[in-house]
Amino acid sequence: MTAHHQQTPDYGTGEKKLSVYLFGTVLCILLTLIPFYLVMKPVLTRSSTLILLYGFAIAQFFTQVLCFLRLNTKTPQAKMNSMSFLFTLVILFVVIGGSLWIMWNLNYRMM
Amino acid sequence: MSHVIPHDERHHDANSTDVFGFWLYILTDCILFGSLFATFLVLNHPGAYGPALKDFISLPYVLIGTFLLLASNFTFALALMAFYRRQKVLSQCFLLLTFGLGLGFVVMEVNEFYHLVHEGYGWFVSGAASAFYGLVATHGLHVSFGLLWIVIMMVQLSLFKDDVINEKRFIMLGIFWNFLDIVWIFVFTTVYLQGAL
Repeated sequence: MTAHHQQTPDYGTGEKKLSVYLFGTVLCILLTLIPFYLVMKPVLTRSSTLILLYGFAIAQFFTQVLCFLRLNTKTPQAKMNSMSFLFTLVILFVVIGGSLWIMWNLNYRMM
Repeated sequence: MSHVIPHDERHHDANSTDVFGFWLYILTDCILFGSLFATFLVLNHPGAYGPALKDFISLPYVLIGTFLLLASNFTFALALMAFYRRQKVLSQCFLLLTFGLGLGFVVMEVNEFYHLVHEGYGWFVSGAASAFYGLVATHGLHVSFGLLWIVIMMVQLSLFKDDVINEKRFIMLGIFWNFLDIVWIFVFTTVYLQGAL
């Protein structure tokens, strides 16, 4: 890899390996089937199912980011990609979490 | 990755910067989707005005759509790897397969919307319904543009001999296509699974 980096532009997208894509796809299929099963055949209480749903969604999110987007910190460009990605996660947390927090509070106080 | 045409350093930097710029665009698109998700969650709180989405959706149908999108991501990865082995025709075949799977997803979604509107869950019935269409259709629109891009990529692979340029475009398309599947994880979790709970 290192020798080729002199020639190929550094996109920071990692090495393309079939094994990684296969592993990611199988993991994503499992992480999709389990939450659908939990909702279609309710075995747990509503709140614990809801927590598990988001647990599986976040697990699949990181599976896709690591196995398909191949986010890593191996080259300078890859570090830039990862840092901007983390920054976006912070912004998303503020936008979604903040909106829900404010609206929940307004709802609570106006009832 | 071994047979890349040599080129000068300045070119090299410009290509990296192009892809990084596209990556930043994707991240801003994430924020757009984030605000749509926040809107959806606020307007779909329990006891919201209007009919419940729960009575109109079919989870097995959504599951099929989810697998179409996931499979299209895998075939895209195969297309990208075929491109790196310089098997352009094979790469185009995999892109065609990706296009077919993506098109299946879009057709299923349009069909779902058609039935929802027909059965009384149009975008005009409540704020919750508007938020549903706003979020899901924005994703569907992105997928449709992705399909257009896949067709363009297939043509470009035959037209352009410069593999460095082709590689750059391929990588950007890959980021875009994968991003759509990542957004879909949260769409099926938040909209469909949480909605049906």
